[in-house]
Amino acid sequence: MSKRITTFSAFVRQVILLVLVLVGVLALLSIPSYFVLKQYFDIDLLQLAKMAISNPQSVINFMMSTTQNEPTKSLFLFTTFPGFTFAALFSTVFMIWVERKFVAKIQMRVGPQYAGRVEGVFQNFADLIKLLFKEIIIPDKADKRIFIGVPLALMFVSGALLSLVPVGPTTYIANPSVGVILVFALIGLSPIIALLAGWASNNKYSLLGGLRALHQMVAYEIPMLISAVGVVVLSASLSIMGVVQAQSSIWFILLQPLGAIVFFIAILAELERIPFDLPEADSELVAGWQTEYGGMTFGIFQLATYIKFYALAGIFTAFFLGGWYGPSPAPPAFWFILKTFIVMLAMMLPRAVLPRIRIDQLLRGGWTRLMALSFVNLFMALLLVSLGLYHVGGL
Amino acid sequence: MVDLSDITFYVMIVVVIGGAVAALESKEIIYGAIGLAFSFLGVAALFFLLDAPFVAVFQITVYIGAVAVLILFTVMLVREGRWMHDSPGRTGKLAGVLTAAALALSLILAFLASKQLNSSEQSLPNGFNLVYIGQLISGPEAPILEVLALVLAASILGAVMLAKVDREDKP
Repeated sequence: MSKRITTFSAFVRQVILLVLVLVGVLALLSIPSYFVLKQYFDIDLLQLAKMAISNPQSVINFMMSTTQNEPTKSLFLFTTFPGFTFAALFSTVFMIWVERKFVAKIQMRVGPQYAGRVEGVFQNFADLIKLLFKEIIIPDKADKRIFIGVPLALMFVSGALLSLVPVGPTTYIANPSVGVILVFALIGLSPIIALLAGWASNNKYSLLGGLRALHQMVAYEIPMLISAVGVVVLSASLSIMGVVQAQSSIWFILLQPLGAIVFFIAILAELERIPFDLPEADSELVAGWQTEYGGMTFGIFQLATYIKFYALAGIFTAFFLGGWYGPSPAPPAFWFILKTFIVMLAMMLPRAVLPRIRIDQLLRGGWTRLMALSFVNLFMALLLVSLGLYHVGGL
Repeated sequence: MVDLSDITFYVMIVVVIGGAVAALESKEIIYGAIGLAFSFLGVAALFFLLDAPFVAVFQITVYIGAVAVLILFTVMLVREGRWMHDSPGRTGKLAGVLTAAALALSLILAFLASKQLNSSEQSLPNGFNLVYIGQLISGPEAPILEVLALVLAASILGAVMLAKVDREDKP
């Protein structure tokens, strides 16, 4: 730790040092980003600053044009609207508050009440400030590199999942031709992360939580994949956009109710939400593989988990609820977000009413019942197609 | 001008080779497992760059989602890694490096000598995509798929039998 400051000159020296470090860091960050923006996205920040001084209105015009023209449009999509900023704000700031109030109302409690006058709308900001000011404690015997690396890896997986969510026919970030499989490839990374977090913490509870997370995620990934294959069979497309476009006349939840149920349950298990929250298990494992994480590392875990929550609810909407299709006066993105919001509410419902299930019930349910149901669903889809009852685009 | 795909290619080459070196050379065995996972991820990124997303996605699903998880799971139980201590001597290391260099050289020569890579024209048929592969597998090549499915089923059954015998041996 730094020396105790006793004299005024030492204080001045400290301040100068701090300013120099900050300037250096800012220069290291800003100069490369200036050139990357100029080179690849045609945004000249210096010119923009000159424009802002002479004519403020032109900057607003420029901002609007970035959402329309090609190289900057993808940047805008990725960082702002269907991308990271929107998802982070929607899934954490808004949805965590909705979740707390919703669960509280069902359980006849009041929920957050004081921060922000009206029904505690600013409770999350209060929590965020608390998390920012808490010390990040790394246990002595922990594996420090993995311990710090794990929250970032989880963030990476959530962000990659987010880029596959098709919010509208034009407002999407990525549309790979194998998007459906890519979803499962990315979900397959999360057991490694949970296991590593549990192992690196060097704590029994964490390791137990990590092992439970591994078993649970591996068990529920397979029925999830097979129930999604039914959707792929009906839409004859492996890209998520193609799956949504095949639902322009009829939603797949009507043709594949069983698949939708299996997929929904498997999503709940993947997200470790109640009743499948054995890896976290507040009362027995004290948050499982996240036990040793505090302060902002815990904050990053929460952010990543809720972004993943939003992304998987969005993928459920795209697979079964017709994506962005809806009556025309409202924009497609509105319908998509509304449906995603309803799916997220439905996923919060078990949290208010169900107890946690045991590990043997969980594994038996995943490996036998859900697996069998997902195969039945797949055969139903194959029958619909092979008997000629269903063609892409309608019955 | 340097293209973005070029930068990605070189970064991913570093990730693949660095991950492979870490997998072999790291003292802590769990870092080796993580290095292996990174190496697989880099290979998947290279497949994406080559415009083969299907192969890339299955590289991630199978090699990281299954193989790396299995290796990590096993490695967790042997944290000290005592059985890795006897490292090869100097001659053994030299022989390994020479073998690897010879293999790489022969591969590079084979690539350079092959006419398909040197010709700039598209060597694959135009409609060669996922649907075409699917039609091949479900049509003329169906027996191969059936045989592969049988082999896989037999191996799964064998694994289950082995696990079961193990459990009965215990008192």
